[in-house]
This record gives sequence, structure tokens and C-alpha cells, in this order.
Amino acid sequence: MEINRDQLVKVVPSPRDFIFLDRDACDGCGNCVVICPMDLWKIRKGQATLASKYRGSCLECGSCYLACDRGAIDFTYPPGGSGVTYERT
Amino acid sequence: MKSYDLIVVGAGPGGSAAALTAAEAGLRTLLLERAESPGEKNASGFALSSKAWRDFPFIREMELPSMRWCRKCVAHFLSPPPEMEERFAVSSGPSRRMSYPEARDFFTVGMLRREFDPHLAGLAVGAGAELRTRSLVTGLVRESGRVVGVTVEGGEEFRAPVTIGADGVLSPVARLAGLREKWRPHEVTSVCIIDFKASREVMDDVIHDAGFQAYFGPGMGGNFLIAYTDGVHVGGPGVTNSLVSRVVRSRSKPARELLETVAAPPLQRLLRAIRAEPLEWQAHCLSWMDRMPENIHCGGLMLVGDAAGLPEPLYAEGVWQAMYSGRLAAEVAVEALEERDTSAAFLASYRERLQESPVGQEFVAGVQLRQLFELLGDPEACGELEEMAVDLAVHLLMSGQEPKAEAMARVFPILMENIPTVTTLARIYLPLLLQVGEEKLRFYSALARGLRRLLERFPWEL
Ligand SMILES: Cc1cc2nc3c(=O)[nH]c(=O)nc-3n(C[C@H](O)[C@H](O)[C@H](O)COP(=O)(O)OP(=O)(O)OC[C@H]3O[C@@H](n4cnc5c(N)ncnc54)[C@H](O)[C@@H]3O)c2cc1C
Ligand code: SF4
Ligand code: SF4
Repeated sequence: MEINRDQLVKVVPSPRDFIFLDRDACDGCGNCVVICPMDLWKIRKGQATLASKYRGSCLECGSCYLACDRGAIDFTYPPGGSGVTYERT
Repeated sequence: MKSYDLIVVGAGPGGSAAALTAAEAGLRTLLLERAESPGEKNASGFALSSKAWRDFPFIREMELPSMRWCRKCVAHFLSPPPEMEERFAVSSGPSRRMSYPEARDFFTVGMLRREFDPHLAGLAVGAGAELRTRSLVTGLVRESGRVVGVTVEGGEEFRAPVTIGADGVLSPVARLAGLREKWRPHEVTSVCIIDFKASREVMDDVIHDAGFQAYFGPGMGGNFLIAYTDGVHVGGPGVTNSLVSRVVRSRSKPARELLETVAAPPLQRLLRAIRAEPLEWQAHCLSWMDRMPENIHCGGLMLVGDAAGLPEPLYAEGVWQAMYSGRLAAEVAVEALEERDTSAAFLASYRERLQESPVGQEFVAGVQLRQLFELLGDPEACGELEEMAVDLAVHLLMSGQEPKAEAMARVFPILMENIPTVTTLARIYLPLLLQVGEEKLRFYSALARGLRRLLERFPWEL
């Protein structure tokens, strides 16, 4: 049985950013990479980068924000009515 | 700017229970939810404990299409990867010794948040609360150090002497109020879920009322399967393995751990049998504390449910806790408005009453409860427990391969060899026993009753 994560999420893309990275605070530890359920974080040249498509595929779980002990990730929610929906349709 | 008696942020179970209670008491209540409709942000399936039927009249009347009554819980213990076959299983119906009738009848009811959350919010609206969806709260209004209202994205402002923050685990409200920046890594878990659609008729035959199943195994930490009418969801990794502190230490991805468990042969066989098709991939965090959290109120504001860190310390069950704390916070809000006192000192009675309530009681021996789960997440300890259970079960009951009496006589040596494992369990269980005052008394009276029955039955004349 194949589980293709990208095909199993429904997201109304957020019209604005809602995750912010403070590059100066990031030490490249990779906690965000390990925990993200959608694999949206990568380490490049010793620093975290968030996939540019995240506004249309982030599950708003906040795991990256909670796992970053350097306080380099700030997480808010996308505007009301946008973002992930769990509908079962 | 519109004014209300009470503003509730978040239309999950905590917020809707609070809004319903407040509206029924005649408060002009505003319920704000960021989603297009309640429930769609909340990972879909869940199991609602029989406690909710004991405590909430509106739950006793509830009928939702997705409800599947769970009268059997199953715990499967798998061998370590790559095999991951079932080594041992315990399956049980409710115990006749439970303290209230609903618990003697069923464990939980599986259903969808997509139905449950709107149903509860609908009850609050029916009682007179105003529900505004697509409304993300982004600011608090303060006067003389007290919270007196909120602002939503776009700038609209709403005022009320009391606000209830029911905005879930990440709680922007707690953060805006300065009650907590964020949970620390050992206080919160990150869980993934795969939601499957399945054939209802086949599920009735194959799963029937075994609606809650857990999968343990050396190093696995307890994944769970919850069944509703026409589907199941499998979530994981279990609470210990999904603790954020453990994830960053072990560098083991929660998503990968869940996918590995779902690929285990016993789960695959079950999913094939019920003709399950993957429908949704979900992820959500969950606060998981070993003691009752402290900072859950300030002047004009109370936090309830996950925003307050109330999921219990063993399985991190949290919907009943959210509803219970929501209702209690609303009751305190009604009193505060009557007394015209919304100060932090007055609202402190919310936390005090919560601590005394059944929700607070769930945190008694919280440290030991969490240790118990951590033991199951530990590869070595879990492996030893599993093999001990297999040895005992086979030699006591299932040995058809060897002379029966000889096999049974081996039970005692098996127990002796496992003294280290039994001692580890006792090290957790005995302090737990000592912390539960009432249970301690019951323990002694049960011992006395057992001895009396023994004396009555013992054929002394022989
Ligand atoms: C994977 C998983 C499985 C679980 N399984 C079970 C189970 O089987 N049984 C059980 O009892 N518990 C279970 N729990 C725990 C349970 O889901 C939570 O304890 C429960 O949902 C808490 O309810 P709540 O009302 O406090 O918060 P939530 O249900 O999280 O509701 C918060 C609401 O607030 C809204 N919101 C958030 N921020 C804002 C804002 N700024 N403005 C406006 N709205 C906002 C959200 O959209 C959401 O609707 C599970 C948890 C997880 C993560
Ligand atoms: S967890 Fe924080 S510090 Fe570590 S790589 Fe990610 S952003 Fe950087
Ligand atoms: S919020 Fe969750 S899904 Fe979104 S980027 Fe962070 S970890 Fe990934």
C-alpha cells in the first residue's frame, strides 16, 4: 500500500507568510528537518531553509517551531479560512 | 467595536463546551474560530471516553454518523523490525469493577472531529452564542493589566470582561497574554496520522467493536488505531516516541516511524481485510505534561483544554479534559461577572477547582504514569516484558506441545528469572500506589477481604 503524503493533504494556500526564520539565530542543528511531517525543511550551507511551496503544503502543526531550541523559527497561523483542511472528502 | 460578556477563542471541544455553558447561563457569548468551519483544522478521528457520557447530558443525546462504539480494547505487541510480527496480544472488554455504569458498558466511541466539532459548536449557537468562523485572533486588548478583549486579523476588535483561550496546543492567546512562550520539548509531542476510508460492512465483521487498538513493540512506543463507522485512522509514533525532546535526541523522524508501523505485516493484513484506502495525511502537536500546569489564567483570561496543557499523562487523551475545563471556566466566568470581579485573584478559583476536579485527579502520579509509557518505548525493557508475557501465556494456557503439568511448573522459574523486569515495574507501580490515598485504603481492605474469603473457603478439616 503506497502512502503518498503530498497527494493526501488538502491545503488552501495561504496568501501571506506565517513561518519566519531568523537566519542569525539558526545554527543548522537540523531539528526542524527531523520533525517536519511534510519534509519542508532542508539544511543548506549549514543553515535551515524552508521550501518555498510551504504555504501550499504546511500542515500548521507547529512542530518545527517547538523543536527549534535556538528560537530561530517563529510560527503564526495562516489567515482565517486558508491553510490545511481535514475534510475526508 | 462590539461588546460581549464573554469571548471564547477556538471552537474545538473546549471552546464550544465553554460557549454552550456560558450561553445557557445567559451570557452574551462570542465564539471565534480561525477555520472555515469548526473541526477542519483538527486531525480527523478520535476516541471519546465514556467519562464524557457520565459528565455531559448533551453527549448522552448525541448521534453522529461516524460513531462506532468500542467495547473491546486490544494491545498488540510486535517483534522488533524488520519482522514486526505479533508476539503477544491482550484484548479485553470493560471491567465490571468500574465506578460508573457507562464505563462498565463501553470504553470509548470512535468518531470524526469533522462531525463532532461542528455539532458541539452548533449546540453553543443553539443556546444563543454567536459563532464567527474564518476569524484568526492575533491580538489581545488590555486595560489596567487585564485582558478586556481581542482583535482578529484585519483589525476588528471585540470586547468582553472575560476571555477564554481554547485555541489548542500552540495557543496564540497564551503567548499574547505572556502566560507561556511555547511548550518546552519534553512537554509536547508531535504526532502524525494516516486516515483510511474502509468498507463499513466489512469493518462491522472484521473490527466490530474492537474500536481502539494499540501497537507496541521494542522501541515503538505505542501507535494507535481508532475505528469509526467507515474508516480507521492510524496515528503515531506513540506518545513517548513523539515527544519533541525525544525526536530531536534520537534523530528519528515521527513521520517515518508511523509509515514503518503501518507497513508492519499485522497492520497491513488488517487494512487489506477492511479494504482500507488512504485518504488523508495529518499532523498535530499535543501537550503532554506529567503534572497539572501552573500558568493557566491571568486577569480577564482563562486557558482551557490543550491551551492549558490538560491532556492526561498516560495516553494524552484530551477531549473530555477540554470540555470539562471549558465548562468549568465558563462557570467561573459567570460568577466573576455576577461579582463584577475579573481579577487574576478571583479567576484563580478556576485553577483551584480544576485541580480538585476529575481532570486534576488524572495528574496524580503523573510522573509514574509517564514512566510506564516510557518503559514501553524503551527497546530493551519492552522486549523483555513482551517475551515474559509470551512465556507466561504459553506455559500457563497454550502449551499443547509439551506435557501440560511440566509446562505449568515452569511458570515459577520464568517469574524468578524475570525478577529484574518485575522489579522495574514494581519501582513504578509502588510509588504510584502510595500517591493514590484512597486507593491505598482500598488496597488494604481488598487484602483483608481476600484473606477472609480464603479463610472461609479453606478446608481446614483436611
Ligand atoms: C493525533 C492526535 C490524536 C488524538 N486522539 C485523541 C483521542 O482519541 N481522544 C481524545 O480524547 N483526545 C485525543 N487527542 C487530544 C485531543 O485532540 C485534544 O486534547 C483536544 O482536541 C483539545 O481540545 P481543545 O478544544 O483544547 O483544542 P483544539 O481541539 O485544538 O481546538 C482549538 C481550536 O482553536 C482554533 N484556533 C487556534 N488558534 C486560533 C486563533 N488564534 N484564533 C481563532 N481560532 C483559533 C483551532 O482552529 C481549533 O479549532 C489527540 C490529539 C492528537 C494530536
Ligand atoms: S531547528 Fe532552528 S536552529 Fe536548528 S536548523 Fe532548524 S531553524 Fe536552524
Ligand atoms: S508547521 Fe509542521 S508541517 Fe509546517 S513546516 Fe513546520 S513542521 Fe512542517
